[in-house]
Amino acid sequence: MVKEECKALLDALNKVTACYRHMVLTIGGTSDSQNLREELKKTRQKAQELAVANRNKLTTVLKDKTVSKEDKAEFERLWVIFSTCLEILEIDMRRALELGHEFPLNVPKKHLIQTGMSGGTSGVAARAMSVQNMKYEAEHNIDVVDLKDLENEINQVGEMMYEMEMKVSVPQWTVEAKQDPGAELKSTISMGASSIGMISVEENKSFCDISKVLAGIIFSAVLIIAIVLAVCVVKLS
Amino acid sequence: MLPRVVVVLGLPPVHSCNTSHPCHALQIEALMMEMQNPDTGIKTQTQKVMITDIPHAVAGNDILQWILQRLQITEEEALHLGDLFVKYGYIYPLQEPKNLTLRRDGSLYRFQTPYFWPTQSWPADDTDYAIYLAKKNIKRKGILEEYEKEHYNMLNQKINYKWDFVIMQAKEQYKAGKERKKADRYALDCQERAYWLVNRTPPGMLNVLEYGLDRATDPNENKVNQVRQLIMYCQQAIMKSRVKSSVSLGGLVKYSEQFLSNDPILSGCLPSNPWVTDDPEFWDLNAKLVEVPTKMRVERWAFNFSELMRDPKGRQNFQLFLKKEFSGENLGFWEACEDLKYGDQSKVKEKAEEIYKLFLAPGARRWINIDGTTMGITVKGLKHPHRYVLDAAQTHIYMLMKKDSYGRYLKSPVYKEMLAKAVVPQETVKKRQVKLALCTGHGKTPSHETLAARGDTEPLQGPLWILLSPTWTEPLSPCKVKVTGSHMGTNSILLVSDCWHKVDGLRRGRLEMAFSRPR
Repeated sequence: MVKEECKALLDALNKVTACYRHMVLTIGGTSDSQNLREELKKTRQKAQELAVANRNKLTTVLKDKTVSKEDKAEFERLWVIFSTCLEILEIDMRRALELGHEFPLNVPKKHLIQTGMSGGTSGVAARAMSVQNMKYEAEHNIDVVDLKDLENEINQVGEMMYEMEMKVSVPQWTVEAKQDPGAELKSTISMGASSIGMISVEENKSFCDISKVLAGIIFSAVLIIAIVLAVCVVKLS
Repeated sequence: MLPRVVVVLGLPPVHSCNTSHPCHALQIEALMMEMQNPDTGIKTQTQKVMITDIPHAVAGNDILQWILQRLQITEEEALHLGDLFVKYGYIYPLQEPKNLTLRRDGSLYRFQTPYFWPTQSWPADDTDYAIYLAKKNIKRKGILEEYEKEHYNMLNQKINYKWDFVIMQAKEQYKAGKERKKADRYALDCQERAYWLVNRTPPGMLNVLEYGLDRATDPNENKVNQVRQLIMYCQQAIMKSRVKSSVSLGGLVKYSEQFLSNDPILSGCLPSNPWVTDDPEFWDLNAKLVEVPTKMRVERWAFNFSELMRDPKGRQNFQLFLKKEFSGENLGFWEACEDLKYGDQSKVKEKAEEIYKLFLAPGARRWINIDGTTMGITVKGLKHPHRYVLDAAQTHIYMLMKKDSYGRYLKSPVYKEMLAKAVVPQETVKKRQVKLALCTGHGKTPSHETLAARGDTEPLQGPLWILLSPTWTEPLSPCKVKVTGSHMGTNSILLVSDCWHKVDGLRRGRLEMAFSRPR
């Protein structure tokens, strides 16, 4: 159905935007590389395709007069989500342009900032492009070449947003969120101990735990030795 | 002040100045990049977090030494500069995340990723902060700090319409983060936390980004235009005509001298000041179109022409004179123009047409005599009438009356007759005063000391005024007074010495006043 399709498209765009944000964060740091720049390019192109698809679908639905009131409210809500997503995407694209200018990769004098990153972003990119593994086929100076395309794409997105605002008038403030505050906690995301983020919280606690464990071990060892000695004394005497 | 424009260190300005973004003196950022140089930069260490090693940690002391050596400044300055780097978020501490100071020992710091560098062009957005808090909520299973919880709730209300997106994006960003390796995830967390500590300071921490009110001018704006405007303004200011202060002050003195006698505050007014005596006779005598005006008023018309014109009675008298001289249409036209200017603007068109028919059209009943050019301008303007369309003609007529008729008017019998008829009002009798004999020691209650005074008053009309002289009331003031007598009731008034107090509603007879003062 139309609603489900719209939702699916929007979820896809949301995912790609989140991945794009992750990648833009790494520009200029030690994880930055030609591969990253290529990933950025591919991700944002995908994002643009999704954005266009979303826009077309939502505009046709919103212009349709035959939808019911509840449906219309629901589509307006989706529209607001879509336009916010697009705003964030545009901002990230602009920042990517700025950072791309500041940190060209092949200049020997420009050193990347040592941010503590050592791994790559290929996993994130694969997630964005919905593929298993990323293939890298770009030239070695994509970091410079791509910036021109990026500028054009930013203009395209800007125009798209302007058109959207002109053609569809959805007052944003009338949309009410479906999710309550704290809804993200109810999701079944596994927050296991695999994340070091958890470790950092419990860092202090874990030290105490370890000392407690050690104390327990020492105590029990002393106890065993005492028992053994006592038995020996008993046996000898 | 944000670092982008504050630091002047004698460094060469940075490389990339392209047209897509404005180029500033990016000196701190250049320094940051120099710090990364493997040969001349700062030596990095590895931070051990539990079982993982995260590279690129630097010691505070190393940062300080590097700044000293690179910039050749004093140690105090270097410490301050390094401290600023940490405060603004270019470098963040690893062991005490909330303590944004540079310690000159071995405590570890790390460089912030360029996306999170402070910048004026990309202020920290509420939506991003909401996403960050939601992510933190997911990671820490709902354990947020107090101020973060407050912000969360506040943002939920403020950007409620975006909230679904915030939740969706937070979940996706969290999932995307899991695609990176553990050490990177940890470093990313630290980065984000440091960024938001700078941009959304917890209560009690110094908020370095607070710079007071937003500037009205954009420092990035083109300076040339601003300076051009300033030059134009100064040129126009120079060309303004000025008057010597001796001349302007002389004018003021002359005006004051002339109008001194007419000023009711400085010279008193006859018959009496209504605000003081409650007697509106003054206003009655000086009504707009009173039959017989006061002498002061008529004399005032002789001061200058504008005084005559602003007084309706004066205009009436002047009109009488002009009728005798067969130039009454001038004043009529002037008054019609005033009505057009200040009257109901919805009727502008009709009024203008009437005025034209009556005064300006060739062969009109009350045709006014103005020169050809003015007539031409006026007739042209009347095609699209508005408030000020008859301004030119009105000024011309005004000047004509002023220069020509006014002089003759002042010498005319009309004016002289009015002057003779004018009345000089009598000054009203002074306030009624009641002499009161104080009977002391009348009665004493624990909370009040009562004294009484008695007096007889003549048949009263209007209010009674009581004045307590200071010597009388020195032991009494401030005190409450109860006034009883054959009148409508008792008045209880608080009296302060040396001030007239009003008592209403008294009739003839005996007046008794009881003074009481709380202990």
